[in-house]
Amino acid sequence: MRLEGTHELHAPRDKVFAALTDPQVLARCIPGCESLEKQAGDVYTAKLSAGVGAIKGVFQATVRMADMRPPEHYRLIVEGKGQPGFLKGSGDMDLTEKDGITSIHYVGEASVGGLLASVGQRMVESAAKMLAGKFFSALEAEAQK
Amino acid sequence: MIPTPFDYIAAKSLDEAVALLGKHGEAAKILAGGHSLVPAMKLRLAQPQVLIDISRIKDLAYIREEGNSLRVGAMTTHYALESSKRVRVVSPLLAECAAAIGDVQVRNRGTIGGSVVHADPAADWPAAMIALRVEMVCAGAKGERVIKADDFFVDLLTTAIAPGEVLREIRIPLSQGRTGQSYKKVRHPASGFAVVGVAVNLGLDAAGKCANASIGVTGAAAKAFRAGGAEAALTGKPPDAAVAAAAAAKAADRQDMNSDLYASAEYRRHLVEVTARRAVLAAVGAAK
Amino acid sequence: MATKYVGNRVKRTEDPRLIQGLGHYVDDIKLPDTLHVAFVRSIYGHARITGVDASAAAKAPGVVAVYTGKDIGKIGGVPCASDLPEMKKPEFLVLASNKALFVGHAIAAVVATDRYLAKDAADMIQVDYEELPAVTEEVKAAAGAPYVHEQFGTNIAYKLTAGEGDIAAAFRSSDKVIKQRILNQRLAPIAMEPRGVLARYYPGEQELTLWSSTQIPHLMRTQVALMLGMPENRLRVITPEVGGGFGSKLNVYAEEALLGWISMQLGQPVKWIESRRENFQSTIHGRAQLGDLEIGIRKDGTVTGLRYNVFADMGAYYQLLTPAIPTLTGLMLSGSYKIPAIQINVTAVFTNKMSTDAYRGAGRPEATYVVERAMDLVAAELGMDPVEVRRKNFPAPNEFPFKTATGLFYDSGDYVLALEKALKNADYKKLGEEQKKARAAGRLVGIGVSTYVEICALGPSAALPAGGWESATVRIEPTGTVTVLTGASPHGQGQETSFAQIAGDELGVSIEAVTVIHGDTSIVQYGIGTFGSRATAVGGTAVFVALQRLKEKASKLAAHLMGVDPATVKFADGRFTSGAKSMAIQEVALHAHLAKSLPEGMEPGLSATYFFEPKNFTFPFGTHICIAEVDKDTGEITLQRYIAVDDCGRVINPLLVDGQVQGGIVQALGQAFYEHVVYDENGQLLTGTLMDYALPRATNCPWMELDRTETPSPVNPLGVKGVGEAGTIGATPCLVNAVIDALAPLGVRHLDMPLKPETLWRIISGNSARSA
Repeated sequence: MRLEGTHELHAPRDKVFAALTDPQVLARCIPGCESLEKQAGDVYTAKLSAGVGAIKGVFQATVRMADMRPPEHYRLIVEGKGQPGFLKGSGDMDLTEKDGITSIHYVGEASVGGLLASVGQRMVESAAKMLAGKFFSALEAEAQK
Repeated sequence: MIPTPFDYIAAKSLDEAVALLGKHGEAAKILAGGHSLVPAMKLRLAQPQVLIDISRIKDLAYIREEGNSLRVGAMTTHYALESSKRVRVVSPLLAECAAAIGDVQVRNRGTIGGSVVHADPAADWPAAMIALRVEMVCAGAKGERVIKADDFFVDLLTTAIAPGEVLREIRIPLSQGRTGQSYKKVRHPASGFAVVGVAVNLGLDAAGKCANASIGVTGAAAKAFRAGGAEAALTGKPPDAAVAAAAAAKAADRQDMNSDLYASAEYRRHLVEVTARRAVLAAVGAAK
Repeated sequence: MATKYVGNRVKRTEDPRLIQGLGHYVDDIKLPDTLHVAFVRSIYGHARITGVDASAAAKAPGVVAVYTGKDIGKIGGVPCASDLPEMKKPEFLVLASNKALFVGHAIAAVVATDRYLAKDAADMIQVDYEELPAVTEEVKAAAGAPYVHEQFGTNIAYKLTAGEGDIAAAFRSSDKVIKQRILNQRLAPIAMEPRGVLARYYPGEQELTLWSSTQIPHLMRTQVALMLGMPENRLRVITPEVGGGFGSKLNVYAEEALLGWISMQLGQPVKWIESRRENFQSTIHGRAQLGDLEIGIRKDGTVTGLRYNVFADMGAYYQLLTPAIPTLTGLMLSGSYKIPAIQINVTAVFTNKMSTDAYRGAGRPEATYVVERAMDLVAAELGMDPVEVRRKNFPAPNEFPFKTATGLFYDSGDYVLALEKALKNADYKKLGEEQKKARAAGRLVGIGVSTYVEICALGPSAALPAGGWESATVRIEPTGTVTVLTGASPHGQGQETSFAQIAGDELGVSIEAVTVIHGDTSIVQYGIGTFGSRATAVGGTAVFVALQRLKEKASKLAAHLMGVDPATVKFADGRFTSGAKSMAIQEVALHAHLAKSLPEGMEPGLSATYFFEPKNFTFPFGTHICIAEVDKDTGEITLQRYIAVDDCGRVINPLLVDGQVQGGIVQALGQAFYEHVVYDENGQLLTGTLMDYALPRATNCPWMELDRTETPSPVNPLGVKGVGEAGTIGATPCLVNAVIDALAPLGVRHLDMPLKPETLWRIISGNSARSA
């Protein structure tokens, strides 16, 4: 599943990038993130209680950041596993700024497995987009602080 | 296909249901007809610890007219709406939409309130709710509040109902004058859900021009939406085939389409246009 | 024989109990102290299992035991009964231990005091996986790594070439060779009742009883006894009511042996009822063949040769008949036509998916689909009427038994007769005129035709891995009731009715006096089972012959009791008569049991057993015609008419035959328009519920105008051929041909199934490069 999108944040790029790579900020922005701890280098482990509406699942996830080129680019790699199955994805984040507005363009590949894949195919993409939207809205608020 | 353990409480009154929701918080879910929640629980995709069953509360299933509106209790079944002679006369779109849901067994058990609150992106009701400009009356610990259909469907499986609130009633404003309504859908061959569903509610003036149009679309995107572009293209014009086609072409404007195994986003966008055109023409035909 | 019952529309005697919910399926069998099993199944298509932590589950409430792949070393692998030259044979253990090779591969079994606690505990088991690249496409699988089974160094399970005639010469002498790639997509059988097993071991008696929803109780007994290393005569398999199988229960599954083994470990009954999700993941699938077809033709429509190079997707492992299915496809590639040279080249491949195996038709629908598409491709190429192409290539009735280039002898047939009847019923000429008018009005209306032949009554023992015969015992009890024991254990076909009809007529008794018993290996003599449209032709014949033997004995006894010359005794309407003397067969039966006066050397009792082995298959045939219209705006298909003329030989019960044909057509509708088991490139099963996997509904079905011709088979004394799969085999290409014909004005000659509206819309709107 290819995921692609652009979100515009009313905040300067430096602040957005800093927020995007700050584990404490991330913990607050990732929907359903219950904990996010640094493991080593740019690798974090997280406990996510992710879901949409009545549909929820708990995931143990690792989040890794790579190809860091502040403040314009990095690569995010997420792998999660839980009772409803697993999810993994990686995406390139590119940040550009114009007139005080930072555009984050992301392109990535994501896949799900287990129950999520076999019963959820009609909603997985919409759910991913929705969670991305929530994440970036929260991030905007953080970057505006 | 076995749910995780949960407690079950049959609420005897709406107040009790609201109180129980307040007590158990996020651990609790309201059980209405159970046609979305229970399958999700059996797959363990939903794992509520407490189920508050509101199906035994008296006075949550009713259809009655009050002034210029129709009041439908949240626990009214699809079948009750489909089979009500009065609904067919005063709000034919409600009856038509109800009849398009699932199969007889589903319609006998599933409720309008349960369906709209679950907000499945492919459910039929949301399109009709938007087209009919209904109001959702929600009961909460601090009393009731009213949410308009356009504000109600927020996102995928997400509504404007706040934690602790229970949908009590749906109020449907009854159209006056020459009105025509229709619901058309492309059925998913497996689930019976709407691959695309379009509900049209329009009024004609004395000259036969479209005085007002209200169009809801479901199945196509992450949530049901109002086809504002199509409505604008109809309003003030004689709704002939060409106008209907031009309006339908705008029905999916500025919307991201869903994509799944059955229908790509591109095909869905096309189906919105075809279905909207058919629904508009059917509604015009129904307007006497 | 007076036929009071045979040939008449006798209502199914099974139905009153079934429609009242009074039948007993496996899950309805309740034994005290039963434990329940839940499985942990792989969520990966291909993964190394690096650890299984069951410590929390073992301590969970109600849990009695947890078993993983390490614990089950002594249980033999899941059996495969077919063996082909140089076939790779992976061992399919009942629980995976090192690697999981498909989504749904069982990894651990949790046993608990109820099924809820078992499932809760199963969710606590932590499996550590290291995901490996999955193999999901047939062609890529054949090409090389990654491998499903590393030890083979290839994904090719076997290669096989079959057929007769010089295909290269045939193509050289043809005016044209048409080529087409054709897909028979992967399907899920989806019996209404999923699988289920209840196992009870009595340690004192050392007797294991398995209740299982299966089509083959006796073969299962043999195979499970071998898997468990126990004496076969200490294992009893009971098959209660079976809610459909379609081939998916013509199998021996891991769960059957494992449940038996668990019951032996714990000394308590254990039960497992498959969920629909498990049914999608780990009950066999069907079809999954992708092939390249070449047809040599002459300008007049004569087919000179046919070659089919096909990739057959085995899945990760073999189940009972997995490798054999493509061989049936090869056998039936001549269809109902005289084709001098035929060659099939099968490349069977392993993929990270559930096994394929017999699904209603089992290899023959694949062949028929290919051949019937071929006929339409020829018609399109030459601008001929598809009916004329078929007629041109039919063998004449006087050419039977007809030998095909695939090595078969078709027993009997009059293909023109069935075709003409169907054309007449359809008013084919008028259909053509109506289609012209509709096309002129811009509508997309198509006429589909298929003239199929299929192979039934499996079959001669030489052609089957475990015996092609069937057994019957008939007896008249002291009180005069008639008991029929059949080895052909049914799963919805109605043998209790049809076999009672045969017995009722043969013995001159009411069918109410006849009880047909099946599906219990301790009561019924060894039998083979119900599959391959064999139950009536082989099992019914066994009943018929056993009845003759029983009557012979009864006749001798009647003569003795009446004190007349045996040669003068006649039997009619349930009575033995000689001159003025007469005795009812029930009286004779009582005397046989009392045994106070028997002829010299006659054994007491009145029963007879017969094992019937047919010397050939039977070959039912027919013509199906349908009319389809495609919505130009949405690509949705509407079926306007469906006309079928089937010839299944002599008909015992037209009601049952109609039911089989109707059900078969509906299942064909599923493959043609709706069904497709989809795995993604990682081996994830995307169609895992009935929310996404579309089965045809009653509202999708057209009214079916059914008719018959009756060409008796010379292979058995009843003259019956078989009809269980005919509808599916005949209808699939008919439906597809109609839709392709509807789109023919757009230049379409072939489309792959399922014919999804979006695919059709893309062609109609010019938004596709798919039309061939």
